[in-house]
Amino acid sequence: MGGSPANPQTALLLRVAAFAAALVFFQIGVVSEVPVFGVNADLSPLLVAFVGLLCGSSIGAVTGFAVGLLVDLTLLQTLGLTSLILTMIGYWAGRLRELRDPQGALAPLVIGTGAAAVSLVGYSLMEFMLGVDAPVSFELLRQIVLGTVVDAIAALPMWLLVRRVLAGSLPEDPRRRRGRRAYTTGGLSPLSKA
Amino acid sequence: MHDKTVRRRRALLGLLVVLSLLLLTAYFGESGGGRLHGVQRDFLTAISPIQDGANKALKPVRDAIDWFGETLHAKGQRDAAVRAEDKLRREKVEDQQEKRELHQLLALYKLNRLNVGDYHPVAATVIDKSPNIWYSTVTIDAGSPQGVRVNDPVVNGEGLIGRVVAVEADGAQVDLITDSSMGVSARIGTSNATGLVYPKVGDPNDLLLQYLPANTPASKGELVVTSGTVATSHESLYPPGILIGEVTSVNEEGGYESVNVRPAANLHNLDVVEVLTSHSGSRPAQLSALSASLPAGQSPPTQTAGGEQLASVGSTGEG
Repeated sequence: MGGSPANPQTALLLRVAAFAAALVFFQIGVVSEVPVFGVNADLSPLLVAFVGLLCGSSIGAVTGFAVGLLVDLTLLQTLGLTSLILTMIGYWAGRLRELRDPQGALAPLVIGTGAAAVSLVGYSLMEFMLGVDAPVSFELLRQIVLGTVVDAIAALPMWLLVRRVLAGSLPEDPRRRRGRRAYTTGGLSPLSKA
Repeated sequence: MHDKTVRRRRALLGLLVVLSLLLLTAYFGESGGGRLHGVQRDFLTAISPIQDGANKALKPVRDAIDWFGETLHAKGQRDAAVRAEDKLRREKVEDQQEKRELHQLLALYKLNRLNVGDYHPVAATVIDKSPNIWYSTVTIDAGSPQGVRVNDPVVNGEGLIGRVVAVEADGAQVDLITDSSMGVSARIGTSNATGLVYPKVGDPNDLLLQYLPANTPASKGELVVTSGTVATSHESLYPPGILIGEVTSVNEEGGYESVNVRPAANLHNLDVVEVLTSHSGSRPAQLSALSASLPAGQSPPTQTAGGEQLASVGSTGEG
């Protein structure tokens, strides 16, 4: 990316954009070609949710919109549909960080699973609302459940990957933030040990 | 400051949602040749080289993942093939067993139509075989309730098997013709000369037809059958014409001639046999009673002592 930009926010956005574009191509070129349990994993809601979880609601929503637009353009899908769903996911994950700041080790798993479920159910609902002539069948429910399970399996590795790629560019590194929170509670304060 | 941030955040979300809905509505409302569709096609055209490059670059990754998947799939297929092979092998064994039993039953059926009219054949399954290498006795699953009695002849489709020596309610014991206690009146197929068939000592696969008159015409390959006649005290228990075996060699011994006989029945592979039972008072029953009245211990004589025993028994009978 040719040197370090002056604005850290711009650097973060560039990094997120490059990573998201690469991941979308990886999704289309590899992940979509390898069925697991009869379904394909969808990494885009995981990516958007984790970006929101690390960067906040605004960047999460923008990332969701951009990734959704890229997916829709690349796969010749209905423009705006995936954007709408991923925008909501990115914003929701970002707000979760801003309001609750989940620190549990399994938080990415839960959030990733939730994002996948919202994405699959939301996409199906939107397709139905747009008048796709398909019945609500057991096969559809099975696809949604299995898709959520497969995404849940991919959630933790994906979280580690996103965090590693964005590390150093984050406006407020979670590790530093966690250390400060612990310090202010007094639990780990050097003064309390004295 | 905080309110401004909140307003900016909400405005951004609203903008993106509205933008998405506008795109959605416009795209959904226009025809396939509309502007948004055109943009989509142009975008696809623009990125197709990138997509091709990415596809080629990611092909090894895809192949590696496919390799794992296909390996697992192949393992599943292999397990299924092994299970199918086991099933087919079991079915083949069952088929072979059924085929062998059918073959034996058909042979018995043909035998019944030929020459055992005075008897009442009772089909039985061999349930136990003597574990030693001589295979001289077998146990069958037909007993006294089926009318089986001691000394009843036992045959199968290939020929003579032996005779019943002990009867219980649920089965009977059969001495095979290769047992040392057996002796069967027999004749060579084309001749009226009769002799006695004994097992050859030390060779359970060979029989010896002894005490044929000298110069009895006999040649290799001729069939040896039960005589069904009462020539001496060694009255045959068996109906006439039951195949015993075929001549393998001819020996001259003093005033007698003896021939080696290979049993026709495969005594090592008995599954289904037939006991020739008879009603009391019938001719076979009378012959059986006569046989039972003979002195015990008709063990096969040695080559030199056999004639003496026969002569002794014969003289007793004649006297």
